[in-house]
Amino acid sequence: MQGPGFIMDHECARLLPAVCAVLADPRQPVADDTCLEKLLDWFKTVTEAESSLLLLQENPCLVELLSHVPNLQDVSSGVLSFSLRLAGIFAAQEDCFQYLQQVELLPGLFGAAGPLGQAVWAIPTVRSGWIQGLRSLAQHPSALCFLADHGAVDTIFSLQGDASLFVASAAGQLLVHILALSMEGRAEGHTCPQGGDWPMCAQKIVGHIEESLCSTDTPRVTQALNVLTTTFGRCQSLWTEVLWEQLSPLVARLLERDPVPAPHPLMDLLLCVARSPVLSSLDRGPWETAAQALSCLGPTQAGALALGVLKLQLCPQALRTQAFGVLLQPLACVLKATAQAPGLPGLLDGTSEDPAVVDALLSSKSSCAGLLCRTLAHLEELQPLPQRPSPWPQAPLLRAAVTILCLCDGSAAPSSSVGGRLCGTLAGCVRVQRAALDFLGTLSQGTGPQEQVTQVFAILLECLERPDSSPTVLKKAFQATLRWLLSSAGTPSCSGLGPRAALFLPELFPVLQKRLCNPCWEVRDSALEFLTHLSRHWGGQADFRHLLLQSEVPELTRQLLQDPESYVRASAVTAMGELSSRGLHGTLTNPEHPEAQQSLLPEFLHILSADSEGFPRRAVMQVFTEWLRGGHADVARDTERFVATVLQVVSQDLDWEVRAQGLELALVFLGQMLGQPGPHCPYTVALPKAVPASPLAEALGALCRVRLFEFAFRALFDCDRPVAQKSCDLLLFLRDKTTPYSSLWEAGGSPDSASVEAALQRWQAGEQGQPLGDLEPEAMLAALRSIDLEGLRGTLAQGSDHVEKSPQSLLRDMLATVGVLQENQADCY
Amino acid sequence: MPEIRVTPLGAGQDVGRSCILVSIAGKNVMLDCGMHMGFSDDRRFPDFSYITQSGRLTDFLDCVIISHFHLDHCGALPYFSEMVGYDGPIYMTHPTQAICPILLEDYRKIAVDKKGEANFFTSQMIKDCMKKVVAVHLHQTVQVDDELEIKAYYAGHVLGAAMFQIKVGSESVVYTGDYNMTPDRHLGAAWIDKCRPNLLITESTYATTIRDSKRCRERDFLKKVHETVERGGKVLIPVFALGRAQELCILLETFWERMNLKVPIYFSTGLTEKANHYYKLFITWTNQKIRKTFVQRNMFEFKHIKAFDRAFADNPGPMVVFATPGMLHAGQSLQIFRKWAGNEKNMVIMPGYCVQGTVGHKILSGQRKLEMEGRQVLEVKMQVEYMSFSAHADAKGIMQLVGQAEPESVLLVHGEAKKMEFLKQKIEQEFRVDCYMPANGETVVLPTSPSIPGGISLGLLKREMAQGLLPEAKRPRLLHGTLIMKDSNFRLVSSEQALKELGLAEHQLRFTCRVHLHDTRKEQETAMRVYSHLKSILKDHCVQHLPDGSVTVESILIQAAAPSEDPATKVLLVSWTYQDEELGSYLTSLLKKGLPQAPS
Repeated sequence: MQGPGFIMDHECARLLPAVCAVLADPRQPVADDTCLEKLLDWFKTVTEAESSLLLLQENPCLVELLSHVPNLQDVSSGVLSFSLRLAGIFAAQEDCFQYLQQVELLPGLFGAAGPLGQAVWAIPTVRSGWIQGLRSLAQHPSALCFLADHGAVDTIFSLQGDASLFVASAAGQLLVHILALSMEGRAEGHTCPQGGDWPMCAQKIVGHIEESLCSTDTPRVTQALNVLTTTFGRCQSLWTEVLWEQLSPLVARLLERDPVPAPHPLMDLLLCVARSPVLSSLDRGPWETAAQALSCLGPTQAGALALGVLKLQLCPQALRTQAFGVLLQPLACVLKATAQAPGLPGLLDGTSEDPAVVDALLSSKSSCAGLLCRTLAHLEELQPLPQRPSPWPQAPLLRAAVTILCLCDGSAAPSSSVGGRLCGTLAGCVRVQRAALDFLGTLSQGTGPQEQVTQVFAILLECLERPDSSPTVLKKAFQATLRWLLSSAGTPSCSGLGPRAALFLPELFPVLQKRLCNPCWEVRDSALEFLTHLSRHWGGQADFRHLLLQSEVPELTRQLLQDPESYVRASAVTAMGELSSRGLHGTLTNPEHPEAQQSLLPEFLHILSADSEGFPRRAVMQVFTEWLRGGHADVARDTERFVATVLQVVSQDLDWEVRAQGLELALVFLGQMLGQPGPHCPYTVALPKAVPASPLAEALGALCRVRLFEFAFRALFDCDRPVAQKSCDLLLFLRDKTTPYSSLWEAGGSPDSASVEAALQRWQAGEQGQPLGDLEPEAMLAALRSIDLEGLRGTLAQGSDHVEKSPQSLLRDMLATVGVLQENQADCY
Repeated sequence: MPEIRVTPLGAGQDVGRSCILVSIAGKNVMLDCGMHMGFSDDRRFPDFSYITQSGRLTDFLDCVIISHFHLDHCGALPYFSEMVGYDGPIYMTHPTQAICPILLEDYRKIAVDKKGEANFFTSQMIKDCMKKVVAVHLHQTVQVDDELEIKAYYAGHVLGAAMFQIKVGSESVVYTGDYNMTPDRHLGAAWIDKCRPNLLITESTYATTIRDSKRCRERDFLKKVHETVERGGKVLIPVFALGRAQELCILLETFWERMNLKVPIYFSTGLTEKANHYYKLFITWTNQKIRKTFVQRNMFEFKHIKAFDRAFADNPGPMVVFATPGMLHAGQSLQIFRKWAGNEKNMVIMPGYCVQGTVGHKILSGQRKLEMEGRQVLEVKMQVEYMSFSAHADAKGIMQLVGQAEPESVLLVHGEAKKMEFLKQKIEQEFRVDCYMPANGETVVLPTSPSIPGGISLGLLKREMAQGLLPEAKRPRLLHGTLIMKDSNFRLVSSEQALKELGLAEHQLRFTCRVHLHDTRKEQETAMRVYSHLKSILKDHCVQHLPDGSVTVESILIQAAAPSEDPATKVLLVSWTYQDEELGSYLTSLLKKGLPQAPS
């Protein structure tokens, strides 16, 4: 909630006492569970803009509510939680905090006398409200004293282990906040007091963290590590150096335990420290501990840490080498277990295998799949980064990816017993297949030996061909194939496809044909998307054109315009539109005359007017707009007729996006008639570039003939706002273009313009009415000038959904709901 | 300790934004991925950061299951899969997969294009998300991986709604989603077999309500509509395009037919045609009556209900119009409402829930002067009625389902805390099982005792059989062997085989015993007497007298010694192996009785 409408105005002040009375009455349930949240949002906005103290003094009902609620017997947990949070929002301002202390309100809410000691404390919402209230309140030194006096920090410690994730997490965050607040201003300049000189509150928190780090209870260690990660992530002051110096030995000691407790939070902490400019430069920086963690946790657990280390900008080279070794270990094992020809460089040659990796790969299918998926994803993330290790072992990585895909589809011939078992474990493992295909796609950015690239294409073809490949695997196989094809051809504009693509494509098209006929719509759709991308890049290449036209792909694509699945029809429309733009939409009868191919226009027009689903109709409109923009032959033959027909069909469409697309097409046409519209910027004052009078007359005549005016005028009052907005922009552009010649078009008062204005009123009232018929441009321009387009644009910018967001509306709704139809509450659908 | 952990990120003691995390036997499953209709900021989606803390989402979660197409159960799905980054499988039924994109598109339209929100999922993202879906059939056991399997059961509620059983080994959880235990005009009642899950996670929207007879509600609805059109008024029924709308259409259509009424009924166009298309396509998911009559007449080919045109709203005379959206916050329903609100002869019937701030919410709470845009005040004179037709199981239905599935424990979600408390006690009393009702973010931990499958070696079995005892299913028998774990499998084998398979050397363990005999003869002679005695008794055993003077019977070794302190006494040292335990004990007791008198 923002803006001037959200302040505490007279109306709100009038309604507030009644709302407070309702909240303080346990017999009155609050109707909607979002109301209290929205009320808090509003109070936050109000207190950001004005004094909380003043607000409380002017609205005594609020203090009454806050003092009354904790003492109620049957108070709802929601209202109690709300009150705690509200009190925190007010107490964030120190003068208001003092005032609330004077009236002794805060101990009753946050002290031992409050909900803390009552049965309601068992409800997570109440504990959450208590934490959030304190989080808001803790903004000034007085708040720290309050926390100390009431033993709040001890309660927060215990809430770190709360059964509710939300409460536990908020407790950790609050500790960090309190620590930072108590240290505020302590470390200005270059000297920072040592831990012993820190404020009591900070010492207490640090002591608790130390204790937790030494605990044998893993959840406690996790909590401590999370608090430290948040602290070092948020605070960059000098005192954090002292804190790290003090605690890093304890963190390092965790790595000596077997098993290492909380490996994930531990890695997060080390990475956070490594990223911190203050801490990473210390003598006892994170490097040694990170190296220790990498070796203790090993490749099975430390993948995320290894990736994090390699992503760092500044990091010791030895650590980077170690991290990369950790990342590569699982793939090195796979390569070693499946090595066919001796002499080929593997990964990490000369280093011994980590037995834990072999164990993870062999112990069970899920541990094997998990480790490989994580490794492949980490390497995929690393590959495109400039700071990735150099030299990058492209060839062995390619071989590893191909090998894993072979293991998954059962085509690998393992040379060792480990390999044999891997074969059994990974056969048909879709999860690993998907990860390997993603990684393989990323590897297309690098180069590889000719023979390996051939292997890549072979395995991709194998994936695409296999009858039992899952649709998600096929989608990724298509994506990887596209990336390899495009990268292997070099620059898109070069004269040929490149030798590998030229060899591969003749094999690919039969597979593509098969996939276009797949019973799964997901596969047909992925195949069509692949075809569209391929044609977009290579539609101009002679070899590609020849191969495509020789295949049945265009014909099959055309058949998919009738597919039962609307998503597929839409993709088929896009693909055919793309093919048609390049003269590739029919089987080749005469390569010299692509125009001999049958026009798609009637078919697309039929889809636009008859398809029961929005997606194909939207796709048709996108294609038509592109065709108009690019001067497609079917359109250029009679552009006016084309635009008129399309606009007429679109105006009846039930889908707002199709109508909005219609306006986009109209705008392109307008641009072609009158000159391009510039980028619209409401803050630039510029005279529109006028069009000379006589071509303008001609253009306006054309606009009338295609009934663009009528289409745009109707759209102006469309019940869907984006359509109306788009129309408004279009008409503003039109009006600006014609304004300099307004004297030439004075036709106000004519019977024609009267009829246009009457029609406009009818449309505005939501009626459909009769079409306008053939009218002269003068009448249209007069009507155009009569509409307050700027005003309309302002109204439309406010939104058309009537979800009233004002605080007045919220307060009224809360009051109105009291005692009405309790049955409605839980009835979601 | 094996356990099942359940953490609701949404729908824990509230209604909306269903999203429940279940960990079962090391597998993590997300049940539903819904949005909250009442919020338009971050709070509309579940807070997924609690899952991303555990590493990459796709590594952590084994699958996502969507129970049905309502947005409070699937509205966050494209956000989760395409923007937060989950790339694993999503399971739902075929109708849900078909209808979900329509509702998600509608939601996107309102969020992005009407409110102008950036950073929201696009149409392409919805499609990409739907391509990750694996559609399932009812009662089909689907293997998510080697260990995790899921199975869908019919839930009623809306077309395609399903309950899901999630099973790993012998442990299982059933999640009901939303369900209805009474058949309505177009859908059947929810059903599940006696699957006895460790845990049943059930919705509890109507935890305390025993709903009045459906017939009464329907009669009341028809009466109100009829009375209004009879006096020349117009009836507006704002609906969501899919779900209850079809139920009410069938109700009115049948009534119109029976009463031979001529007053026009319209359905605002757009989504509904698609909806009816899907109802026809998935006819097998509707109830028996609809399926049976389908051949003669498709119930969704309405005779009296026609498509609505905006111009019709101004037509004089009575009419009934179903219009979207259901909360009167935008589009056609709001447009028609504004036209008709001023006439007291007209009526608006709200068949469902409306969030705060919408016109629907305002008129339901009794507000009659509404401030529309531009400070214009709309006075509502038309009658406003609320009639709930939402298809959730009432308290009786929930109890019925618990009885049907016979779970070991129950967990309540999708309801209000106070009402849940009541139902929880009832379930605990009646079924004597634990019942939980965690709040959002709260984790319930259920210890389980999983049965671990184990194999038995053929050799061991054959050996048992050789003893002449055939296995009987009803008579458990003790079987000795060595339990070995290899390749994560348990197997019972003979100890010899275990040694061989594990490559271990055998350690001999011998039992020893001393028997004191009164015998004045030399040790050798005593040994000889022992040999003769045993030889005469143990005719089936191999009794040997060895050159060193000791006697053996099978593996049992007997040696005679003379203690120096008492020459008249001889000590027999008897030792035997574990395998000859029985014989060893027998021999000892025999020797303790003394040797037969030798002829002097």
